[in-house]
Amino acid sequence: MAADNFPKTTTEKIANRQLLFMLFMMRTTVVIAFLPVLTSADALQDAWASAIVSFFTSALLVLIIGGLGIRFPELTIVEYAQKLIGKWPGRAICLIIVWALLVIVATDTRIYAEALITGFLTETPLPLIVFAMVIAGSTAAYSGLEVIGRSADLLFPIFISAILLSLIFAIPEFTLLKRNLEPVLARGVGPVLRGALVPTIIIAQYLCLTMIIPATNQPKKALGTALWALAGSTAVLTLVALAVTAILGPDRGSRSVFPFFNLVRTLQISEFLERVEILALFAWGFGIFIGVSVFMYCGTRAVAQVIGLHDYRALIAPLAVIWGTFSVHSYQDIFQIRTYFDARIVVPFNLFWILFPMGILWAAYGIRRLTGRKPNEE
Amino acid sequence: MRIQRRKTDNTYNPLTDNMDISERFQEVQKMKLESGLEQNLQTLQQVCGYSQDVKIRRFSINRQIPAALVYLDNMVKDTTVEELLRTLMIDTRKIEGWDKDIGLLLPAIKDLLIVNGVEEADSIGDLFFKMTFGNTIIVIEGQSTAFVCSTVDLKTRAITEPSAETNIRGPREGFVESLCVNITLIRRKIRVPHLWIETLEIGSLTKTLVAFAYIKGLADEKMLEELRSRLKRIDTDTILESGHVEQYIEDQPFTPFPLTLRTERPDNACSALLSGRVVIITSGSPHVLILPAQFPMFFQASDDYYEKPPLGSFIRILRWMGAIISVFLPGFYVAIVNFHQELLPTALLMRITATREGVPFPVVAEVLIMEVLFEILREAGIRLPAAVGPAISIVGALVLGEAAIRAGMVSPAVVIVIALTAIANFSTPVFSMAIALRLIRFSFTVLAAIFGLFGLQFGILLMLIHLCSLRSLGIPYMKPLAPFIAQDIKDNILVGWIWGRSTRPKLVGYREPFRQKPGQRPHPGKDDKQ
Repeated sequence: MAADNFPKTTTEKIANRQLLFMLFMMRTTVVIAFLPVLTSADALQDAWASAIVSFFTSALLVLIIGGLGIRFPELTIVEYAQKLIGKWPGRAICLIIVWALLVIVATDTRIYAEALITGFLTETPLPLIVFAMVIAGSTAAYSGLEVIGRSADLLFPIFISAILLSLIFAIPEFTLLKRNLEPVLARGVGPVLRGALVPTIIIAQYLCLTMIIPATNQPKKALGTALWALAGSTAVLTLVALAVTAILGPDRGSRSVFPFFNLVRTLQISEFLERVEILALFAWGFGIFIGVSVFMYCGTRAVAQVIGLHDYRALIAPLAVIWGTFSVHSYQDIFQIRTYFDARIVVPFNLFWILFPMGILWAAYGIRRLTGRKPNEE
Repeated sequence: MRIQRRKTDNTYNPLTDNMDISERFQEVQKMKLESGLEQNLQTLQQVCGYSQDVKIRRFSINRQIPAALVYLDNMVKDTTVEELLRTLMIDTRKIEGWDKDIGLLLPAIKDLLIVNGVEEADSIGDLFFKMTFGNTIIVIEGQSTAFVCSTVDLKTRAITEPSAETNIRGPREGFVESLCVNITLIRRKIRVPHLWIETLEIGSLTKTLVAFAYIKGLADEKMLEELRSRLKRIDTDTILESGHVEQYIEDQPFTPFPLTLRTERPDNACSALLSGRVVIITSGSPHVLILPAQFPMFFQASDDYYEKPPLGSFIRILRWMGAIISVFLPGFYVAIVNFHQELLPTALLMRITATREGVPFPVVAEVLIMEVLFEILREAGIRLPAAVGPAISIVGALVLGEAAIRAGMVSPAVVIVIALTAIANFSTPVFSMAIALRLIRFSFTVLAAIFGLFGLQFGILLMLIHLCSLRSLGIPYMKPLAPFIAQDIKDNILVGWIWGRSTRPKLVGYREPFRQKPGQRPHPGKDDKQ
């Protein structure tokens, strides 16, 4: 069988719980840093509704992304794409996934670096922070998926408690809640749906599922895991959207660059305890780290499988340099990233990443089912 | 000065002075006892260069057959040797018929000897090795095998409480340097035949006995096989302490963190055995190694379990806090003062800046100097004779610190930070972990000085990856935190009530997960309530 020609899936196994933590953290970090702005820009005070709507639309995309994976529980996308549409077309199509992961890593690290620079380290050169994160991420990717999974286990409690604590401390400030959130759905459903577009399309992050599913303990349940992670991060997004609109107001919320940090910065728990946003930022950095290392792991393994390399570790160092450089040079400043997250740009871009490869693969799969050939055959 | 020459005679000596140790080894390995008594005694003495602790007592069996006892001075019990002599010289007269057939003599003597163990051996190297265990050798004229009689007199240190692992509550006994005493200490606590002890001899020159104990049927067979192969792989000439064994069998040598847990307390060792772990006992070392060791185990002291659980949990949380402080506080201070002054409340910031007035060094230099100074003090405190120890601590800590502040060389805030760090570090109960934390503290300080809090975060991430990638005998080091195992948290981060700790730790003792019947929470009977 030709399946023996390319490197086998690794023997590393992670628990589905660890996958849940990874997926939750990688989505929540980007969501809490950036998305209230993007949702409320269209939806204004109804940002929370957009957040909820985005769950259902993203869930649909997750099914498209992960659906094939659970039909080939032993194989990564590089492997089953070659089975479905032939060796070279299969490999070529996977390069799109690699490209998507490359852009996502670059954007995530860049957002993190920008958040640090605007908030804390105003004089630190940006490449330094970007490369520090890339080094941390690539070290984790080098150590393997199991190590990333264990790190996720360790960091998840810190991450979730920091975010929940920030939200709980925000409750006393909810005095403006009524005024800021009303009128509910005054401008109809249209803006709400438009506001849900960007959080939905960020789900392109979950393209990493196509590489991770065979490494989970129960690959068949991986889709459920992903949906739970999505539900969790949607809940956080809804709460953050509520808090941001309630405290900062829809206008300020949609204009500020990192609304969640602005929100935490306004909190004053007691005379002695102010500036708690450092905790939020720390926790958030942990989340970014998990995301970045997962993407790096998946990206390098995908590249390794495409070019038929047995050990993906050899690729990490060169790819890390590319990632870091890409992250530094692809955006000029934070506002360009915001522009990138404009629905008119990011939606077609990310939809292409998801729908083009997955569409072709699903079509090939469907044709095989219809023509009665077993999908697992060559 | 005249060097005392060794007594040498003109007989043929196969061992020449220019032979290297390995040649000597091979030569001695080939040497066997011959039939002549004097020749045998000479060979025995030649092999060890007429060392004066090899004692030879010549006598004759039944006044006719010359024989000799050979033993190492001070390793044998004098009364047993005397008993042996009496048996050989006098009691042998009762044997009948041996003067006609000399072949009858040997089995008869063996029957007569009233000692614990009697073996026969004929290789010179073997005989000498057996003498080092306190055995006495009987060499008889005309016989090419010798009797090895157990006359051992163990001279060991008294069993005392280990000074490095003191407890408030719990047994006061500690391991000593003798392997058999240590095994006894364990065996006395676990009285079933299923406590198995396998012994290996490691080190071609030291011939150190290394034993590993486990409970058969509880410890994982694959893990045991792995440990056995790792121990057998050791090919060296020197094993002097369990630290030497440790370095040969670690999963990942390039880490500051200890991957085996050393303890001097038999109760610690037994609790490890009972949860399916393996204990390695090295002859000549009071430190036994527990494998596999997990990170949280280094923050447990055995009296956590003897005290009431809420107290134990409280103390354990304090210890975790102590560990966190001892790693991060200096770095945090440097980062805050250098980069993030806005994070401090204004009043506190004013105080710190006021005390830093006139200090000539940058904060990080100040902190690093004080840290290094403190480490030197601590080291000096260990090495100095006990009598001058307090003097050093007074001169070092009080006089030096006070004078440094008065002279304006360091700010009081830094002294507070370093002192706090040092004290917090001492709350880690296992020394090897405490010293690892102390070591990585320096890297955190430097990172914080360069990148501020971001440097700290970067350091934390790298440390995390490192910790998560470590394994001890194949079991993840950070278990049960990562991979997260909820049922083990009760025993690792917190201390649960002993009637609630019904399960053994997963991954290690999973062969028999339940150690007791669940639901044994004590409650007074319904009759008592009325």
